[in-house]
Amino acid sequence: MTKIILRNLTFSYKDQNGEYTVLKEINLSVAEGEFISIIGPSGCGKSTLISLFAGLLFPSSGSILLDGREIIGTGHDRGVVFQHYSLFPWMSARKNLVFGLKQVKKGSSRKEIEQIADTYLELVGLENFKDHYPSQLSGGMQQRVAIARALAMGPDILLMDEPFGAVDTKNRLALQELLLKLWEDGKKTTTVVFVTHDIDEAILLADRIIVMSSGSGTIKKEITVPFTRPRDKSQLFRTSPYAELRNRLVGLFYDDLLEEREDEIVF
Amino acid sequence: MKKMIGPASLFFLLLVLSGLLPGRSAPAGNNYLIGLAVIIQVICLTNLFWNKNKAKVQACSDVAALVMAFLWLWDLFTGRLEILNKFLYPAPGNILKLFTSEFPVMLKGLFNSIQLLAGGYILALLIAIPLALIIGWRGRLYLAVKPLTKVLGPIPPIVYIPYAIAILPTFKASSVFVIFIGAFWPVFINTLNGVFNIEKKIIDTARMLNVKEMPMLFQVILPGALPSIITGATIGLVFSFILLTAAEMIGATSGIGWYVKYFSDFADYPRVIVGIIFMGFVVTVITYFFDRAESYLLRWRR
Ligand SMILES: Nc1ncnc2c1ncn2[C@@H]1O[C@H](COP(=O)(O)OP(=O)(O)OP(=O)(O)O)[C@@H](O)[C@H]1O
Ligand SMILES: [Mg+2]
Repeated sequence: MTKIILRNLTFSYKDQNGEYTVLKEINLSVAEGEFISIIGPSGCGKSTLISLFAGLLFPSSGSILLDGREIIGTGHDRGVVFQHYSLFPWMSARKNLVFGLKQVKKGSSRKEIEQIADTYLELVGLENFKDHYPSQLSGGMQQRVAIARALAMGPDILLMDEPFGAVDTKNRLALQELLLKLWEDGKKTTTVVFVTHDIDEAILLADRIIVMSSGSGTIKKEITVPFTRPRDKSQLFRTSPYAELRNRLVGLFYDDLLEEREDEIVF
Repeated sequence: MKKMIGPASLFFLLLVLSGLLPGRSAPAGNNYLIGLAVIIQVICLTNLFWNKNKAKVQACSDVAALVMAFLWLWDLFTGRLEILNKFLYPAPGNILKLFTSEFPVMLKGLFNSIQLLAGGYILALLIAIPLALIIGWRGRLYLAVKPLTKVLGPIPPIVYIPYAIAILPTFKASSVFVIFIGAFWPVFINTLNGVFNIEKKIIDTARMLNVKEMPMLFQVILPGALPSIITGATIGLVFSFILLTAAEMIGATSGIGWYVKYFSDFADYPRVIVGIIFMGFVVTVITYFFDRAESYLLRWRR
């Protein structure tokens, strides 16, 4: 079943200086339970696209359909991990989760909610920092709290904007595994949109990789990742199909950079 | 160690020595002056031995040095040398003596003053904060109210005093009203700004969590605007104090503002000075508790 459909989606930021088109005539469909990765150079509109999915921004023209219906705002069916760690600074790590959970799980008792919060904080390895305020946590730790909150709320669609960007390599590996495990345990009913600029991460996680082009605001290429799951990182990275795919993706990136260079020379 | 309390000790000795010399006019107050100097010095020394924080010890003893230097000079020009007009510039020892004897009277007056202050100020907080939260959160209301605050906010609330006394039945009601107005605007305007300046990503996060109206206002907007609200509340408190004193000077029959005004009408300047010093104490105590409350409420910031 198709979960998300983008139809001729165009988006422009408007301010006093005029309009600035970031996304142009994008068409894309994402199946229910699919895991897609979006990669592309900085400034190509990945975060903007996430905000559109989230219902924080609306298309300038064209449409985004969720389960066949146009998005009219934010909803419990979607959870976001923003690129810039976005916790409430006046709440402890645990309170941040509890507060989020309270908004979805109306019927649950305080105790149950706290239990869920603790479980997820343990999953991201922060059991010893439950009562710390965000200002007392490092950037990577704050991001892990935000990830724990999004995962704990169990949305249908998980929107993640470079969620592991600030996390160190060791925790990053653990979080990648955790994310895949939770997604696979959930019988892959959760649809995941995962923005990253790490090509290896995209290949490891995604069913399909969407490569965006710089400047033009369009999708450059959609590439299906052929590897079976569960994927073992250490094995996978040594195979030649992996290297081939990786080279292709790097090429797509490099291509972009080359074009930019030529532009510079021409002008 | 010597460096730390050197200046304080120097002025301590000067102060005690000049206190022991027979002054021309104020032998009665000498003991009080020496007593105060001893208390200050003892505080310094205990600090030196018990407080591990070097910077704090240093600051404390430097403050003590300044205070004692001031007292010494004051004493020198009044009680010792009598260079200054005795009538207008009483010696510090005499002031201290008077302060201790007048203390109970002033405390009783203070009780009345605090009632007015707390009444007006708390009323202002209770009305200004929720109102500004709602108005700030509702973009359209905000745009309507913002220009109004620009006109009404800067009017010095002192100008309302005569009118308030005229239209309200009792002095108490009119001073509470004036204090209310004085505290209202700074709290209101700062709360509005606080709401307006909450980071967009925080609002976005709350929207993603689908936070309902009430928790949005009181668990997201309120704490988000809190630093700014507290700034407003501090300014409001200062205003309240000024207005309280002004109102009491104009129309009261008790209270600390009345005390100063009453005795200056009789040209009893020692009591006027005693009243002013007492007010300084009161403000210090209130500010201390206010700061404690602030650092508790904003403990999540670093
Ligand atoms: N609020 C805004 N107003 C105007 N322009 C914006 C706004 N937010 C983003 N932009 C512009 O839109 C373009 C896309 O921004 P976006 O944040 O979506 O990029 P991104 O692909 O997420 O980049 P990165 O990889 O650096 O996070 C950028 O050129 C940026 O300047
Ligand atoms: Mg981005």
